[in-house]
Amino acid sequence: MLASVGAEWMKLRKRPSTWVLGGVWLAMLVFFAYVLPYLTADSDTGPEAAGALASTLPAELVGNAVAGYALFGGALALILGALSAGSEYGWGTVKTALTQGPGRLNVLGGMLAALGLTLVGMVVLTFAVSAGASAIVASIESAPYDWPPVADIVTGMAGGWLVLAMFALGGVALGTATRGTSMAIGLGLVWVFVVEGLIRASASALEFLDTVQRALPGVNGGSLTAALGARTVEEGGAPGVSTLISGWQATLVVAVLAGGFALVAGWLQRARDVV
Amino acid sequence: MPAAIDIDGLTVHRGGNLVLDAVSCQVAAGSVTGLLGPSGSGKSTLIRSVVGVQRITSGTVTVLGQPAGSKPLRSRVGYVTQAPSVYADLSVRENLRYFAAVVGAAAGEVDRVISAVGLTDKTGALVARLSGGQRTRVSLAAALLGTPQVLVLDEPTVGLDPVLRRDLWEMFHGLANAGTTLLVSSHVMDEADRCTALLLLREGRVLAADSPAAIRRRTGTDDLESAFLAIIDAEQVGSR
Repeated sequence: MLASVGAEWMKLRKRPSTWVLGGVWLAMLVFFAYVLPYLTADSDTGPEAAGALASTLPAELVGNAVAGYALFGGALALILGALSAGSEYGWGTVKTALTQGPGRLNVLGGMLAALGLTLVGMVVLTFAVSAGASAIVASIESAPYDWPPVADIVTGMAGGWLVLAMFALGGVALGTATRGTSMAIGLGLVWVFVVEGLIRASASALEFLDTVQRALPGVNGGSLTAALGARTVEEGGAPGVSTLISGWQATLVVAVLAGGFALVAGWLQRARDVV
Repeated sequence: MPAAIDIDGLTVHRGGNLVLDAVSCQVAAGSVTGLLGPSGSGKSTLIRSVVGVQRITSGTVTVLGQPAGSKPLRSRVGYVTQAPSVYADLSVRENLRYFAAVVGAAAGEVDRVISAVGLTDKTGALVARLSGGQRTRVSLAAALLGTPQVLVLDEPTVGLDPVLRRDLWEMFHGLANAGTTLLVSSHVMDEADRCTALLLLREGRVLAADSPAAIRRRTGTDDLESAFLAIIDAEQVGSR
């Protein structure tokens, strides 16, 4: 198992797509969570401007860092997961790895563990870049460096990682199910950006849809990030962040969904012919 | 020579179609056995059965005394797929480092197999930038990691230039001389003479299993293409 983890970790580190996705995520984080609010605050003097500026200061580090995980960060994690699993079929390497290597679940376990490690790196980078950006803003505005307690930062990192892991595992399940990357990424993004949005929009009119939306990955990811301190959409925060579900319930559902996606991928990997 | 691969009554259906029909044959240890037949004859399915990635309807496939695909065989059987099975977005060395880690091969093995397939000057090149033949060699190098006792190659010379094909066949014989058993599929009859033994497959059935010389002698022909046609004609006459 350790050999599989090491091999997958090396592969993920060497892949340009991993770095491109990480770079895109960090660029979006800096632009939407810091540059845009700062420019808004700089060009206005009303209460909204004060709120926008406050959102970029060190005290808001945790909320700002995890706010994008429910939608954009989640979508990028889903792409990473779909690429990890689906590209094995696209390049035919699944046959080489599974015939010569350890067992099928061992190979999948190695991939999931390496993905988990990569996401740890992404979360740490997210917090580091967020901290750097908020420190720059505080320095420019001569604002206090009121960092959140370490416990809050650690909790934020763990919760943020769980949300990303759920989306990445969804990508792995899709990549394994479709035995490729294009269809997996396409379906995943349609789900994240279209289907969930439509269900949410219709949930107030149809009771059963309200029940359905409480089990959705995006809704629970958004509720978990809100519980960690991210501002909701109504408060001018990132899209997808809401307080529809309590933090603990959202954590539980996100963990169950993540486990469910992993089980689906494992079952497919084990049960089907290698083609 | 003892059999490294023993296939007995192998029947496979794919998508509801009968692909292999009660195939029985053996591959001698240390031989270079050619699996020849036209496209659609069932070569790839037979190979997939030998490496244990094919669901079979009935029959048995035994490799080195173990059921095909069983855990003890994973490090003892190398498999080169029809299309190169390597990561296009990684370099040659990165690909082989990955597969070496997967099969638990020593780090020094990477250099050995790169040298064995003649890609020493391409170790840092991205696989995406290599020619088709070079990609095939990277795939072959991956299969050579861990020094497998049985090497199964599915049409490894398709699309390669004659010089490279000659070099690869020389390498196959070098491996066989060192004790490796090779099962090489091809639909190109002029490659049959490079093998020490042949399995002629058509429409999911084994038409002949012998050495090239014995097959020529039995059919009274000079070349193996004519021999193959003579065997098919004899089959058709016999079935009327």
